[in-house]
Amino acid sequence: MKPTSWFWHYPPLRKALTIIMLAVFGAFLLLPLVSLLLWAVAERWNYPGLIPQQFGLRWWSWIFTNADIGKAARWSALTAPTVTLVSAAVCLPAAYAFARFDFPLKRVLYVSLLASNAFPKIGLYIVIAAFFFQLNLIGTFWGVVLVQLINTLVYMTWIPAASFAAVPRELEEAARDLGASPLKVFFTVTLPFAMPGIIVAVILTFLGSLDESQATLVVGAPEITTLPILMYTLVSSYPEPVGAVFSVLLALPSVVLLLLARKYLLGGYLAAGFKGG
Amino acid sequence: MVRAHRWSAVSRARSKEALVGLLLVAPPTLVLLFLVVIPAWQAVTFSLGIVPADNVAYNSSLNLIRSDTPTLAVFRRLFATRSFTQNLGLTFFVTFATMTLLTLVSYALALYARFNRGRLSGLVRTLYLIPMFVPAIIAGYALTIFYGDHGVFQAALNRMGLPYHSPIGAGWGIVLGQLWVSIPFAVLMLSSGLDGVAEEQVEVARDAGASFWVILWRILLPLNFIPLLIVLTFTFIGVFGSFTIPYLLGGNAPQMLGVSMQLNFSAFRQQQIAVALAVFSFLVCAVAGYLYVYATTRRQQGAA
Repeated sequence: MKPTSWFWHYPPLRKALTIIMLAVFGAFLLLPLVSLLLWAVAERWNYPGLIPQQFGLRWWSWIFTNADIGKAARWSALTAPTVTLVSAAVCLPAAYAFARFDFPLKRVLYVSLLASNAFPKIGLYIVIAAFFFQLNLIGTFWGVVLVQLINTLVYMTWIPAASFAAVPRELEEAARDLGASPLKVFFTVTLPFAMPGIIVAVILTFLGSLDESQATLVVGAPEITTLPILMYTLVSSYPEPVGAVFSVLLALPSVVLLLLARKYLLGGYLAAGFKGG
Repeated sequence: MVRAHRWSAVSRARSKEALVGLLLVAPPTLVLLFLVVIPAWQAVTFSLGIVPADNVAYNSSLNLIRSDTPTLAVFRRLFATRSFTQNLGLTFFVTFATMTLLTLVSYALALYARFNRGRLSGLVRTLYLIPMFVPAIIAGYALTIFYGDHGVFQAALNRMGLPYHSPIGAGWGIVLGQLWVSIPFAVLMLSSGLDGVAEEQVEVARDAGASFWVILWRILLPLNFIPLLIVLTFTFIGVFGSFTIPYLLGGNAPQMLGVSMQLNFSAFRQQQIAVALAVFSFLVCAVAGYLYVYATTRRQQGAA
């Protein structure tokens, strides 16, 4: 028996050790967020106080009346839905084809979509930006939409393709035998069955676009400042509460959307690759 | 499906299907061509000194090296600078430190969530997903103010009379941030692999007297190898090509390559250097990228 394994066979010690490790892990994940939330409602928090000396919401009104932030909110509200719609239009028909049709190069094309994940991201964005200069797409709305598409290809194709492939063929054939047209079968049988996967892909795309900061910074600057882009300037040139309030506002849509869609998201689609640092 | 009985009709239906299929997959393929293949190819030629006349960004680059035939002059000059060597060293340090720590932490969490039932393990399963709700830029900011000089962490240690030297602005600070943002994907991926390991297999080995480490090494790791490979390669590429976390949590010098690339591209107006750095990062990540694609397709086939 190994010298390290004695405690492993002694349940109380093992349990205590596990709980300590989990507590450390929980603290590692949560405490920075908790302190951020506290900063968002702090008016004065001087070192070495563990909590703010004075609470208040002064910075919230500052944030809500700031013109830059209003402008950035509008860019974000415009970009994320556009990216999601364009991505759906580009990828969903392909997802259906990958699931249902047989054609040359099918496997190669399906796998090559992964290339967008296999490149180091910032290098790819810079190379795209250099190419976009040539096409006058730098600093334009459509340039940002295009560069953001690259991150959506894999989940907007792979997740719906898996759901299309999982639709029972017998149901479709039964509907056909009852006299439904192919289009009617698609819209009344196939699509509703595949919907949970499509919803997950749409949510991930929307959130990915809403939180995207690197590609937008490289391609969109200086005109297109979405909310995450504004965060780069806020964190370096404003006091902590401003960044904190802004962070809470920025994270809010993600939290709300993910909570609303929890039942779809828990279906095992998440490991398809959510985001990279 | 195909109701025709004659061969010609069957093959006609087949080629129609092939045509429709290719048409439907054309849009994402074009996006890939337009956003990966063409820009990457242009970048390679530009970093070899061939400057296209119609590209403003390339022609306005400071310290431009121009050549009619491919030359390695740009790379030679880049490799000769001390800051590049230091930046590369930091980038490798952060990348491998993150991979090691992430594997240890997320494997432990995935194992715990897989082989324990109850309230606590349910809590863990929710806990490790939290960073997914938080954009990287917010995570980076939260970590900066928490672990930074005169942050809450230092205040807490101070109460206990412990000394503290903030890792923010140095390599370990970046590792901390990368670890924080990478945990959900790593644990989800490893968990999905461990779900495929039958409980009986572990029970049988345990009854035969195998210790925890033997079970881990001889049963769990081999059966869960592909997900581990995906986590390792994805983390390597992700951290090597990261910008936001090192930008917020790192110092001014040395910098990670991603930060240096971005600054060279925009602030310093040295687009050729930036693009050469990008091409260099593609080369470094090529092996990891290949293994990532291989492992992901293997996993897909296993799942199908």
